[in-house]
Amino acid sequence: MSTTRWNPAHHLVSPDGKWYWDGVAQEWKAVPTPAAPAKAAPTTSPAAAAASRGLSFFTGTIRSDDLSYGQTVLVWARWILIGTGLLLSFWSPKDLLTLQVQLAAIIALAFGNFYLHVQLLRGHTALDNVVYGASLADICVVTALVLVQSGYPSPVFIFYFAAIVGISVAFPTQMTAGYTLLAIGVYGIICLATATGDEYPAVFTRLLTIAAVAVCGNLFARHEAQRRADAIRIHGELLDEIEHQPSSQSQTQPATPAL
Amino acid sequence: MPAAREVRTAAQANQEDVFYGQTVIMWARWSVIVTGIVLVLWTSTNVSLLTQTMPFFLVLMAVNFFLHGRYVMGSPLNRVVVIVASVIDLVLITAIVVLWPGSHGLHNQFYVLYFPVVFAFALVFTRRIEAAYTVLAILLYLGACLFTGTVPFDLGSDDKVLVMRVIVIAAMGFLGNYYFRIQRDRLVQASRGDRSTLSEIRGGLAH
Repeated sequence: MSTTRWNPAHHLVSPDGKWYWDGVAQEWKAVPTPAAPAKAAPTTSPAAAAASRGLSFFTGTIRSDDLSYGQTVLVWARWILIGTGLLLSFWSPKDLLTLQVQLAAIIALAFGNFYLHVQLLRGHTALDNVVYGASLADICVVTALVLVQSGYPSPVFIFYFAAIVGISVAFPTQMTAGYTLLAIGVYGIICLATATGDEYPAVFTRLLTIAAVAVCGNLFARHEAQRRADAIRIHGELLDEIEHQPSSQSQTQPATPAL
Repeated sequence: MPAAREVRTAAQANQEDVFYGQTVIMWARWSVIVTGIVLVLWTSTNVSLLTQTMPFFLVLMAVNFFLHGRYVMGSPLNRVVVIVASVIDLVLITAIVVLWPGSHGLHNQFYVLYFPVVFAFALVFTRRIEAAYTVLAILLYLGACLFTGTVPFDLGSDDKVLVMRVIVIAAMGFLGNYYFRIQRDRLVQASRGDRSTLSEIRGGLAH
């Protein structure tokens, strides 16, 4: 049983307005309907009724719920980044300035992530722009850590992978491409400025694998959206079949009492 | 009463997981192959070096041509073959880390090839198989570093770098499979919605 209280202003609601996301139970639940206006509700056309009965918000054409589901991956990716970053910051720190920058960036990220995680747990919608901004902050923090550790030699660039994994499954393809290009571009420029000529092949490897992770994640997310769309289409066909059959059945079994 | 047709059975779901997931694994493998071939051609300074390093990627390329060809022809391989091919990926990447001329073990920069491969695998298989695969990748990488004697075990910066890389490999597996499980739940939810809707319609007929 969820302890989340329904509040239309705070919950992520499906496009058809019939479902809301319960972050505590981690599932979609039916929006409670007011008792009185039910009778006064206007008669809907068959097409509208079919649309309201449909589950089209599960398909990939709607990105808001994809963002919501993907956001949990983003949040966990960020916790991994924060936890690992903290652990490694205290492990043989080089100098005071580096440690100060590392801890300040990581703690700021932790506060932001805590806010987003609480929003998720309470089933509240986080503004899309906040989610996009937080992902941008991930890339900025990793870039800052790379910069204070002399660019190319810094081993913390691998945290770009964790950030891009979350982005690739949560965001639409264009956004994923944008963020990935940003990460690759910024890190590529830093490496070109700080690496020697014989290290360029390693730079190339790093950049290409970051792109590969983004492609794999987004490809999978798109496939899943397609699978849901297919499932909904089959569902619609099934409903049509059932709707056509009862007319003949109702002639033979006119008045079965409700259980 | 009309016979209820299952929208999506568990067996069908498993087959679809492998079918769709296979493309992700194949694209991850193509990224490894392209990276490797470009690097081999770029960094080779003599014929001997080129002939020593290129075979790794030619083997991977042959495997992926076969798998991709089967997929395009509409007869993708079964779960066991996909797992075996993915294990071969790990073995070959580990061989590159150990045997690559010039830099071995911890100092070899090809370790990043583990990331897309582990991530793609985690998007396809269930938690237990994914965990085993991720642990195998970590063990192979640790083994490669130990075998080449490049880890000093003095809790210094090299050990720190190794721990960081291992954590990120594990994170790739965890995050990929976490998302995989979210997607499974969404699909199950959709199927459940179908059945409940069906029940509602039947209930409505009864009225």
